Amino acid sequence: MNPYILATLLFGLGLGTTITFASSHWLLAWMGLEMNTLAIIPLMAQHHHPRAVEATTKYFLTQATAAAMLLFASTTNAWLTGQWDIQQMTHPLPITLITLALALKIGLAPVHSWLPEVLQGLDLTTGLILSTWQKLAPFALLLQIQPVNSSILIALGLLSTLVGGWGGLNQTQLRKILAYSSIAHLGWMILVLQFSPSLTLLTLLTYFVMTFSTFLVFKLNKSTSINMLATSWAKAPALTALAPLVLLSLGGLPPLTGFMPKWLILQELAKQDLAPTATLAAMSALLSLYFYLRLSYAMTLTMSPNNLTGTTPWRLQSSQLTLPLAISTLATLLLLPLTPAAVALLTL
Amino acid sequence: MSLPKITRLPSVRLLSSIHQQLLLPSIPPLTGPKRAVSQGEYRRPGQPKVDKFPWQPINFGFSKGFEGVKKHFALLKKEFSDRWVGPQGKPILEHMLEQNQVLWEFRGPESLEQWTVSSDQEIGGQSEVHLKLGKNHNTCLLYGTLSSTPPRDGETRYSGYCTMRSKQPLASFDRKKHYDWSSFNTLHLRVRGDGRPWMINIATETYFSHQKDDIYNYFLYTRGGPYWQDVKIPFSKFFLTHRGRIQDDQHPLWLDKVNTIGFTLGDKADGPFQLEIDFVGVCKDYAHTEEFAYEVYKRNPEI
Repeated sequence: MNPYILATLLFGLGLGTTITFASSHWLLAWMGLEMNTLAIIPLMAQHHHPRAVEATTKYFLTQATAAAMLLFASTTNAWLTGQWDIQQMTHPLPITLITLALALKIGLAPVHSWLPEVLQGLDLTTGLILSTWQKLAPFALLLQIQPVNSSILIALGLLSTLVGGWGGLNQTQLRKILAYSSIAHLGWMILVLQFSPSLTLLTLLTYFVMTFSTFLVFKLNKSTSINMLATSWAKAPALTALAPLVLLSLGGLPPLTGFMPKWLILQELAKQDLAPTATLAAMSALLSLYFYLRLSYAMTLTMSPNNLTGTTPWRLQSSQLTLPLAISTLATLLLLPLTPAAVALLTL
Repeated sequence: MSLPKITRLPSVRLLSSIHQQLLLPSIPPLTGPKRAVSQGEYRRPGQPKVDKFPWQPINFGFSKGFEGVKKHFALLKKEFSDRWVGPQGKPILEHMLEQNQVLWEFRGPESLEQWTVSSDQEIGGQSEVHLKLGKNHNTCLLYGTLSSTPPRDGETRYSGYCTMRSKQPLASFDRKKHYDWSSFNTLHLRVRGDGRPWMINIATETYFSHQKDDIYNYFLYTRGGPYWQDVKIPFSKFFLTHRGRIQDDQHPLWLDKVNTIGFTLGDKADGPFQLEIDFVGVCKDYAHTEEFAYEVYKRNPEI
């Protein structure tokens, strides 16, 4: 892509999220979200393959619907309460509508169907931007509204963890697996939103680091399906040794970083007398763990005897940037001992 | 005599009869739709004459409904239980180690149910095509006669084609299912033709309605003769066409959502033809590393 256009689009992406972060008026926040949507559309459609265009169209339609719902809800709130401030929403109807609109924006169940298809049509870099950066702005809004209806958030969260686990079981395409993992993680984040918003933020940031590592692992191997991943032992043995740990961190196993948010969320849910919810969420994490384990198995624990259907090893670019991957892998694997510091920061 | 009868009635009865006509407009007996209503004013040659309402051929019987419910719920249960076995119903090791997969083989009459044959009789031409099982129920035989006489409807100039296309796989409750051939890179068929050049069409899942007729094609040159012919065509060789016209903007065939495969004959040579197919499968060719055989270029590159 023309570097000027690429710079403009990335700048637009950054600006949109920043505007939403810095806004206290609903219209400004909506504008930031729209800028994010519009800036990523050309990035998604840059490879003029029909599947990329299909993914772009589906993304645009869902995000536009969510933005329209958001605008409608904030207008209703302005009508009912007379003010446009984000942090002073008191009427339950606009709050519920905004929660649903933001759930559609980030891809929570039951409005999650667009996410696997959209991610499948994109290349890995744009998929990374979609999975990480595009979730920041809606979460900034979700963290600021105080939802009064607790059951809708718990329902969204539980359904997302279940659907994310169940849906990923049948997939062989890595991007769809990552989409379902995103849905499951977002479910965990939403579960605890009303009890401890800072815990949601911690989960979001941990999820970012882990997903960043995973996408970069797949990008380095130039693999988009399980079979292509199975031959990474020949391409990058050190990466093949670390990648299952990254995947298990996504699955939330101690002593890796991914355990920290799940542990704290379960603790918070138990404190709030929601033990059955916590049990159900923990059991649904097992479903997600199953397909992460399957990926680790295919990648590292078996030596695939056959070659790949994609690019042969000696055609891989040897000059790929590995520094971001190194840093994020370190963060994905080793940050669990920082839990006391995280808990202390949470209470701020 | 040439005047209509109504003018001879007295005015009072005229008024009352008109009143009656307005109150009870005459309803014609319910025989069936007139062709003009259901097909439009012009019936294309080749389309059958329609003299039934659209709902009349449908069988609304209870046993058919019951069989349908059983079939769909069985498929749904299978979908749920397949996930525990592995991705797409196969254990992960089998999915990783799979090098060949036979998709269609013709071992019984039910295998013919998966295919649809058609010819230019639909537009009014005179080609014929039939599909039957070969000897010993080992192969399928597609045979018929091509005739390139165009139908006389004033707008068709060329004619003479026959085709066989697989039906789209359906999940429970008639939802569309797609083939996922992303672990493979070559199409492998075993055919015995009669020397005619056929064309293989692969249709993938599309999103927009204007992409409905996007098909990826490649040639299948059969050698006539008693010997079987193994044909291996890498998927990177398939080029994109729309309604038979090759597109300028080519892109490789994405293998993760393939809907149907088909074989077409349209070589402008009148006469009988036959094609015997043993199996259609996909395989993984390790030596083939080409991603796309055709140039993907920008037509207006910025300088």
